[in-house]
Amino acid sequence: MVPSACWNCVLRPRAAATRALLPPSSSAPRVASAPFHSSAAQYAQPAKKKANTQTMMKHRQSMSIRRKKKKPVDRVRPPPVGERKALKKRIVLSNPNALEIEGMADLSAETMSNPSLRGTIMGLPVDKLDQLRAVEAFKPKQSWSLFRRPSTVFRRSTYEMGRLIDQITGDVEGAQQGKVVKKIVTGPKGSGKTVHLLQAMTMAFIKKWVVITVPDARELVSGDTAYSPIEGTNPTQYVQPNATSTLLSRVVKANQDVLAGLRISQQHPALKGLKPGSTLADLAKLGLQDAAVAWPVFQALWTELNATKAAPGVKDEFQPRPPMLVTLDGLAHWMGESVYRAADYTTIHSHDLVFVNHFLSLLTQGQTLGNGGLVLYATSTSNSPSNYSLEVGLDQLAARQEGVKPSSPEYPQPESYSDADPRVMDLFQASMSKDGLLELQTLSGLTRDETRSYVTYFARSGLLREVVNDQLVGEKWSLSGGGVIGELEKVLRRPQLSRPQVATATA
Amino acid sequence: MPPRFNLCTAQKVISAFRQPPLASPRKLAIHPRFRAAQSTTPLQKRWNSSRNDAEDLPERPKGPSEDPLPDVSEEAAEIDRIMNKEKRCDGQPASPELEQGTPVSEILSRDKEAMKHMPKVMQDQVKKNGGSRSFSTSARSRLPDVQETNAAREDPSIAMVASMIGQATEQAPGLEAERHSGLKFDYPVSPANTKTLNFRKRYDTLQEQFTKMIMEDGKLSRAQKVMASILDQLRTSPAPQVNARRRLLGAPPAPQLPLDPVLYLTLIVDSVAPLFRIRQQKGLTGGGTAVQIPHPLTLRQRRRSAIKWIIDASDKRRDTHVAQRIANELLAVAEGRSGVWERRDQQHKLGIAGRANLGLAPRRR
Repeated sequence: MVPSACWNCVLRPRAAATRALLPPSSSAPRVASAPFHSSAAQYAQPAKKKANTQTMMKHRQSMSIRRKKKKPVDRVRPPPVGERKALKKRIVLSNPNALEIEGMADLSAETMSNPSLRGTIMGLPVDKLDQLRAVEAFKPKQSWSLFRRPSTVFRRSTYEMGRLIDQITGDVEGAQQGKVVKKIVTGPKGSGKTVHLLQAMTMAFIKKWVVITVPDARELVSGDTAYSPIEGTNPTQYVQPNATSTLLSRVVKANQDVLAGLRISQQHPALKGLKPGSTLADLAKLGLQDAAVAWPVFQALWTELNATKAAPGVKDEFQPRPPMLVTLDGLAHWMGESVYRAADYTTIHSHDLVFVNHFLSLLTQGQTLGNGGLVLYATSTSNSPSNYSLEVGLDQLAARQEGVKPSSPEYPQPESYSDADPRVMDLFQASMSKDGLLELQTLSGLTRDETRSYVTYFARSGLLREVVNDQLVGEKWSLSGGGVIGELEKVLRRPQLSRPQVATATA
Repeated sequence: MPPRFNLCTAQKVISAFRQPPLASPRKLAIHPRFRAAQSTTPLQKRWNSSRNDAEDLPERPKGPSEDPLPDVSEEAAEIDRIMNKEKRCDGQPASPELEQGTPVSEILSRDKEAMKHMPKVMQDQVKKNGGSRSFSTSARSRLPDVQETNAAREDPSIAMVASMIGQATEQAPGLEAERHSGLKFDYPVSPANTKTLNFRKRYDTLQEQFTKMIMEDGKLSRAQKVMASILDQLRTSPAPQVNARRRLLGAPPAPQLPLDPVLYLTLIVDSVAPLFRIRQQKGLTGGGTAVQIPHPLTLRQRRRSAIKWIIDASDKRRDTHVAQRIANELLAVAEGRSGVWERRDQQHKLGIAGRANLGLAPRRR
């Protein structure tokens, strides 16, 4: 392209070009106006900034593109308050997809002490399920939701308990009639301690006993419920009104029929609202309405249930009271300091809570239940604080049961400087006198026969798709640590991998 | 020379199977007629070997006084076998020709008519015969038995017939028992999957894959808990109401599904798994536009994309727990309600449209 200016022109500076190179006389825009007026300059549009950003850059400013950060949008609203807990605590007792098992026996008055049914699976009676729910016999982590209807293995221990309950009731001839049997149920994790309690409750309901349960011992000592000192006690005792009220509601819901059939037979001057001639159910309901009187109401109910004859001055004819079943799950929580604090900020020992103390006193010697019955306290392994004093106490109990005398050197004693809780040791000492001996019942794994029927139960419910033979039963029995039923359930519940196929012959 | 086709490979194989169990494996493929003639020289012999002489005895050359013929009773048994036991399909006794096989070349050399109609391959070979071969056949092995076994190994027809007979012998327990005689315990059976026998697997393949895709921050055990909960919910939720347009592939009747949760899960995932992914290939048509090309996926890849879709869809649900969200999404897929099905349809639609572009794609080795 030919340049518009010739070389000569370029080399020789022209007048216009020189003028352009010189700095302008003023930076303000030139406005055609009279020189003595400033308004035009003031009203003029501000000069546009140059587009070149390089000149506008500050020192050490980053050159990269700046994008606005997006705020993370929370898509999902948090679930409503209490929904997660409700989901955790939900108990489902039936799976409509599972197959119905034909010919399965139910636990009943006839079958509960039938030795020929040992080792079979027995269904829980359907009409007792509401009562069992009311006493919180089912726990959320147990796999009731897998099967068509809840059922349990009728183990050797179950059969023995059925016979015992029969004897205490007096249906079967025996020396046990009207006696109190006290047991602590222990065993490794998953060995069926809680289900053992459940079976006891079912049998007690069948026999029309009164069932009083503490489904979780932890709730009483973990600082979850309100507590207040009782005046005039030394050392100071503490009452837990709300927990007592909850206990009363469980008792009323579960034993409505029995309690409604029994009338008051003792004097209760402390309870003003109680009319003469009212039933025990009415008495218990007083504590539901007002938590403040819950503890006196519970004491009154307890005296009524343990009465053997009417007090003088009560007109109604005395109705004999049924035996009682008292169960507790998670004994270890009650064998130490609670998290409650006294007025001087020292921790309160759990035996100073009257609720706890009342139930623990049932273990001590003598006829602690007036009309006989069964006291079953189970330890827990899924949620239990380690408790040295309890361990020693249980060891002593076991030694005592084997015939080791307390004076002999083999009798287990707490180690020196081990800081064993003296109150716990005293409790075990008091419960091990000659009459009304506290027993220790240790649950272990299922036998092979029981395992076989349990495995068959899974297969017949449609949850296990394998041929049940000796090999399979043996394998599952070994995998579950010798038939520990909780482990067995885990092993069987897991979807089975198809076994490696064995080649038939030359391919 | 035309190739030697054996008409009666079966006979050979049968003879191999009929050997007494102690016969050396070398001998197996040789017909009994030739057995006396061969083995004049042992195959391999080390001078310092520790084999005892008693074993070597049958292999030494026989003297003139030693009778090579079988005794009378053995001969009678042999004749009986030929006449009665080894009959052809039509009931006639087997002729030696049929039994021992005749080379096709011999038949052809006798029959000129057959030469005209012989297969084209053979005709070509005859035509080529004048030229030079690519391989040499001049050196003949002095070890006929090795030659034979190689032939038996290479000839697929022999192998096939052998396998047929092997299957047949399963039904003949007598023969099996004869082979395994002298064992104290059962003859060990080699399992089919020898290579993977040492793999210890606890979970189903798909279950494991799904679990690992649920996993976050490497917390596998937590993911396994979630998976267990998902399977429990599949187990306890009511049987799916099957949408006729969106069935699960090859599923048993719906009421049976919840009882086999792993199968249920597998069917759900496999039913929404896409067959291919869409590859965006640039620079095929010029101008920088990408061309969509369907690319086939393996089973695991297909499942992976289906699982990803399901988990993505479940994230938009409002249930409290992960397990509940995923389980509900899975149930929605089973009933044909889920958006995952649309996603799959969309993918397939794109793939069908992109089929035309397959020709543009560069060939991959």
